[in-house]
Amino acid sequence: MILIGENIQILSKVVSNALKEKDEKPLQELAIKQAKAGADYIDLNIGPARKDPEVMKWLAGVIQEVVKKPLSLDTTNPVAMEAGLSVCKIPPLINSASGKQESKEKMLPLAAKYNCDVVLSVLIDAGIPTDSSSRAEAIMETVAYANEIGIPNERIWVDPIMMPISVDQPQVVELFEFMKILQDICPGAKSTLGLSNISNGTPEHLRGILNRICLAMLDRYGCFSAIVDSFDEELVKLAKGQLPDIKNLIYRAMDEEVDTSSLPKKETDIVKTVNVIMGRSLYSHSWLET
Amino acid sequence: MQLNDFFEPYKGETKEVAIGPSGKAVKLGGEQTLPFHAFEGKEGAPVRFALEVFDAPPEGWPEHLRSSYADVLSDPVAWADKCTNQYGADLISLYLSSLDSENADPTKIAEKVKDIADHISVPLIVLGVGDKDKDAKALVEIARVCTGKNLLLGPLVKENYEEIAKAALEGGHSIIPQSPLDINLCKELNVKLAKFFPKERVVIDPLSAAIGYGIDYSFSIMERVKQVAVIHNDEMMKVPMVANIGKDCWKTKEAKEDKTQGILWEALTAFTLILAGANLVIMRHPESLKLVKKLVSGKE
Repeated sequence: MILIGENIQILSKVVSNALKEKDEKPLQELAIKQAKAGADYIDLNIGPARKDPEVMKWLAGVIQEVVKKPLSLDTTNPVAMEAGLSVCKIPPLINSASGKQESKEKMLPLAAKYNCDVVLSVLIDAGIPTDSSSRAEAIMETVAYANEIGIPNERIWVDPIMMPISVDQPQVVELFEFMKILQDICPGAKSTLGLSNISNGTPEHLRGILNRICLAMLDRYGCFSAIVDSFDEELVKLAKGQLPDIKNLIYRAMDEEVDTSSLPKKETDIVKTVNVIMGRSLYSHSWLET
Repeated sequence: MQLNDFFEPYKGETKEVAIGPSGKAVKLGGEQTLPFHAFEGKEGAPVRFALEVFDAPPEGWPEHLRSSYADVLSDPVAWADKCTNQYGADLISLYLSSLDSENADPTKIAEKVKDIADHISVPLIVLGVGDKDKDAKALVEIARVCTGKNLLLGPLVKENYEEIAKAALEGGHSIIPQSPLDINLCKELNVKLAKFFPKERVVIDPLSAAIGYGIDYSFSIMERVKQVAVIHNDEMMKVPMVANIGKDCWKTKEAKEDKTQGILWEALTAFTLILAGANLVIMRHPESLKLVKKLVSGKE
């Protein structure tokens, strides 16, 4: 699975200060560390960057000085996006466009113009679709539009939009349903999503296990990539196929009801987490304790 | 081939909770089917109805509500008697409105609660005002003073559940954990309580809203709680539910401005939440109570 490292993002204090001061050191360090940890792409999330769209150009420049990984340019601002695109040496990923009218008009054409891959989310003007079939409907329309302006399915990374399980557990189940049918409705399209969003709102010490198990489950449904915390070592190993026993247990728990009475704690926790993500048991912050 | 051959039995059975001392205890829950689905499984105890009594004369009630209790508003014992003897309440729900006054004294309040509990012929629910500190202080004291009376005490929220539940455990009472219209937080509180408190003494309050003021949220959550309990057999959710609707109904403009409208507002809010799965309903107007009882019984 392709991993996009999420650790350079505007909500982090270190990152926002460094961007403001144009201090490349901490940002370059973060990029190097992520590449070393196993990230295949380095996400550069600068937010909307309304005041200073040119910051993306500077950031992309300083990051590609130190890592030979493709970048994922992450902003909703098309001006900032183009500033970044104009300097990338390796074709980057546009993260992201959506089915919103404005995005279709201003962001999506950049993927055609610069001949690069683009993340296309299921978001439309009416909002985030609430079930798998409305996700399908939304993305088919946006993908058709992208095809028309010269972007083939193979260059589109569909983002089904992960919702926090603590807020709306049924939405997580719907997302999996959507992943199952994605290849039927958009043959050849790739996929990606903001994995850590599933554990947004979950107690900090429990976020890792949710993220990791969800990733393995997505992998099984053919999800091509995910935007992840590069510094979660176990997650990276799992995504790269280095933990076959855990992966097999996750798959088994997806297929059948696993009797946990004789399993050690770590494996019991895995089974319980699969059950919560699949919507078999009602989520609460103490799902591992019941 | 019989009709039953087409049914798949539900897996979960909600706990049967008994409120009140033996002799006058009332049972709640114990169902193994969805509301009014007697043809699919065991229905458990019938829905129970409580009428509210205030421990200090209420303010801001419209005349068409006040008039039902005009002669007893400042005498909780007589008020409670009227609710049971004349209006047919299965339980009394005592609202500790005196906690709102500056010099509220938990010891005195607890003594008063004991008098009422001793006197009335039905089980007693005791509800705080929703202030986590004031409620905790009063309910802990009440639990101690009323030991053995098996009151139903609430609301317990995530900030005060430990101390109230411990006191309730020692005093042999049942409790109402309350969560803010969120099924995941509802389960969370149940999980935490289950570590030291028996589920046979828990009635959950997922928070009720009146018609026109968010009842759709309450309905969805209560409906899901019941489904998760009965269909999916979730150990932590197999407990009866309470819909405490009097307060929310009677603060609506619609209930205040007209008698018939007010009675219908409360009765239909109650009925709607019973359809969603409430096992116990706390109401305010005797005529709404009468109306919803008639609806539920299916007679006439």
